[in-house]
Amino acid sequence: MMKNSLPVGNGLGLMKFRTMRRLLGACIGMAAGFGVMAGPIAGLTAVTAAASAAVADDRADFTFINRGEVGTLDPNRMSWMQDIRIGYALWEGLYALDGDTLAPIPGAAAKVEVSDDKKTYTFTLRDNGKWSNGDAVTTADFAFAWRRMLEEPGDYTYLFHYIKGAQAYEQAYLQDNKAADFKTVGIEVVSPTVLKITLESPCPFFLDLAAFPPFFPLNEKSLEKFKQVDPKSGRVSYGGEFTQPPNLVTNGPYRLDKWQLKVGQHLVANPHYWDAASVQSKTIDALSVDDPILGLQKYELGDVDWIADTTGEIAANLKEKGRQDVKVFPSFGTYFYSFNCKEKLPNGDKNPLADVRVRQALAMSIDRRPIVKNVTRLGEAPANLYVPPVFPDYPTPTGLPMLDGKSNADVLAQARKLLAEAGYPGGQGFPDLKIMYNTDVAEHQAIAEIVARQWKKNLGITLTLDGIEIKQFQTRLHGKDYAISRASWYGDYNDVSTFTDKYKGDSLNNDSAWVNAEYDKLLVAATLEPDVKKRLALLAQAEQILVNEVPILPMYFYVNKYVMRDNVSGIPLNPRNMVVFKKVAATHSK
Amino acid sequence: MVKFLAGRLIQFPIILAVIYVITFLLAWVAPGSPFQRTERPLAPQVQEQLKRQFHAESWHGFLLYYPPQMLKGNFGPSFNYPGRSVSQILSDGLPVSIALGGLAMSIAITIGVFIGTLAAVFRGRALDWVSLTVALLGVSVPSFVAAAVLRGVFAYHWTIFPLGRWPSGIETRLIGPLGHQFWDTLHASGFTSALSAWAGSFPQYLYAALLPAIALSLLPMAYITRLTRVSMIDVLGSDYVRTARAKGLSRPRVIFKHCLRNAILPVLSYIGPAAAATLVGSFVVETVFQIPGLGQFFVNSVQSRDQTLILGTVMTYSVLLLGLNLLVDVAYGWVDPRISVGGG
Repeated sequence: MMKNSLPVGNGLGLMKFRTMRRLLGACIGMAAGFGVMAGPIAGLTAVTAAASAAVADDRADFTFINRGEVGTLDPNRMSWMQDIRIGYALWEGLYALDGDTLAPIPGAAAKVEVSDDKKTYTFTLRDNGKWSNGDAVTTADFAFAWRRMLEEPGDYTYLFHYIKGAQAYEQAYLQDNKAADFKTVGIEVVSPTVLKITLESPCPFFLDLAAFPPFFPLNEKSLEKFKQVDPKSGRVSYGGEFTQPPNLVTNGPYRLDKWQLKVGQHLVANPHYWDAASVQSKTIDALSVDDPILGLQKYELGDVDWIADTTGEIAANLKEKGRQDVKVFPSFGTYFYSFNCKEKLPNGDKNPLADVRVRQALAMSIDRRPIVKNVTRLGEAPANLYVPPVFPDYPTPTGLPMLDGKSNADVLAQARKLLAEAGYPGGQGFPDLKIMYNTDVAEHQAIAEIVARQWKKNLGITLTLDGIEIKQFQTRLHGKDYAISRASWYGDYNDVSTFTDKYKGDSLNNDSAWVNAEYDKLLVAATLEPDVKKRLALLAQAEQILVNEVPILPMYFYVNKYVMRDNVSGIPLNPRNMVVFKKVAATHSK
Repeated sequence: MVKFLAGRLIQFPIILAVIYVITFLLAWVAPGSPFQRTERPLAPQVQEQLKRQFHAESWHGFLLYYPPQMLKGNFGPSFNYPGRSVSQILSDGLPVSIALGGLAMSIAITIGVFIGTLAAVFRGRALDWVSLTVALLGVSVPSFVAAAVLRGVFAYHWTIFPLGRWPSGIETRLIGPLGHQFWDTLHASGFTSALSAWAGSFPQYLYAALLPAIALSLLPMAYITRLTRVSMIDVLGSDYVRTARAKGLSRPRVIFKHCLRNAILPVLSYIGPAAAATLVGSFVVETVFQIPGLGQFFVNSVQSRDQTLILGTVMTYSVLLLGLNLLVDVAYGWVDPRISVGGG
């Protein structure tokens, strides 16, 4: 500032001299700065080395990144894939699923006897079944949990309606809990080891349901502390705090040791588990990682053994690099477009989509190949059917013709004819409808753009894109406040009805407002049919109606995306993402 | 001073009540059901059961039920994390946010004031330009870019720092005398071991928090650098500085003892809002480094329409913001006695 700056020369020399001095000053200043910081930095390096050594010791035998944040571990409210996955590690239902075949195998029950009319299931528990606190697992624990499911209904309570009297009891309890009689329900505790379940009608997948988290048992004693009795009605409910460690008592291969939101769960092998000898990993860390790139980086550094469900983009990029550790395989779900089939649009105008010919024309003028090739990029199979091809004995119906580049002209001519018959020749007079999608996943917009472009080119109709926030999307989809919407469905249990039930006339999940008496009749007939083969034939007939009537336009079948190296064993590649955690292990060189 | 404090403290409940009502209204009218956590609609009887459980049968019932509960420290159960109370989420997340934000603010203030002072002293010279560049980068590079780059370079490429691992419970150890762990150790094994356990948690904390704190500090650091520089230039030109120099005091002594105290005033008034912004704006950095702070819950609660959690986080942040602003006003009067916070 106060330096003398008398000119001691002129021209270039001075300029250079000054610039040099300034630069030198800056350098010295910065060097001094670094000098000041060098001490802390050296100290920090030593510190980080010590701290990293301390942290590295914490690694669990097996570490994986779950699909997302686990919201709840209360079997009444579990509905996300990630919740259910941890549920399988902590609990065991009466039956369990084999990871390779997905066939039901004995779990907490040692055996089951099914009556000739397929309506009564008599389960006998293992005599060495134990809770993680050492208590014996009894049939009362199942009866308690299942009764709670009806009295304090949750996301999957409707699956209990296959049990005799269950739905009636749920309603009766809601009306007047004091008058409702649980004895009317087909859940009978015959002895501490024998449980007799009576069904409304034959349900060939009941053992599959018995393995599903909503059917898990609960340890009543451990829940007692969290019991809340409504002073007015006397209704009983349980505070969800019972699911947090150290409160949670479970009967599966693992117990919950730690659970911190945004960090994950630490699971420790349950020493009281009846099959504890087969449990491969003593500890499991299930991490919650919100940023998929962070997840991949952790995996690349070897901090993580398995990424359960990475994003489509990451999986596609890894695949394109020729990486062998990305596993892409068929899933249990379908991506489709839902048509609103009501007579009137939400704004009161006549709905062209109420005409089946319009829906058929729209369905037949879509080429799915650019979608799976350019957007999803994981070799998904283009779909003209609703039920994914994962049921080996299911007689697959015939889908509407898809554009495939070969017979395009014929199919398109047919589609244009249908549209003309419906009163919109060449797309003339077709109202400006919107394609609704949620914006949290970028792929939905890319697909909507492709679909809109194809309809414009192939049918001459112009539709606008309507991308909205996910919660608003859900409300409008379920409220039938849309014309055309992106949608999807994943099955819950190993039966075709987990898909076909969605479009029952009175189904809560029927977002298309499509009602077909014949379809409903076939589904009812299938429910009553004890013969498995005939039953599947009835369901196939129903799907054929759905496919012809096009309340939905199938786009492609979903795939699952795992990332794991060869050092991981016990994680099968089945469509339902079913993992038997007691078999999971990873070898580490370190 | 007392009058000023009393006046402010009387205002607080009124401001908080207004914030509560506005937040509630916005959360209540936002489309989308907070109960439905997946894409599937819930059966009507399930919704009814949940509404009862959350005291959300009617808007006025909900509006009136929670304030008295909140005064007792009960913010109700979370909609999106069934089985977890909002109080628990807040008490788990807030210490983490404070631990992270505190370090970020320390870095921002120390380096910002230092560079700003040097830039003023060496005005127009290379160091000044360096400081301008730093400030420009700090303002224009979004924190998610800075965080991702820091993570990629120092945690992934060179594995100097941990990659998305927050040592569990470190924030409670760090808060030390405020947390129960400190007192537990004190009771069990005496003062020295409690103190050493507390001090021993620092390395682990720095190891985990340094990178995210740097990413979080860039923006306030840039502002502080520029603020310090401008006010320092102003102060350096004043008469008393010339007098001090004429008296024969050394330059560093004049700059750091006499000038800085006055030059730091505008910086001080910025620290309150900056600290609040750092706490609230930590969402991005928390996501990039997977840190279980409150910022993530703040943003996610809005996305999932978790009404109790929205109200819980908003009220917590409001109290923090009001408190920080009050603190800054008090500190202002303390640093510069000419300013009377009493308003008279």
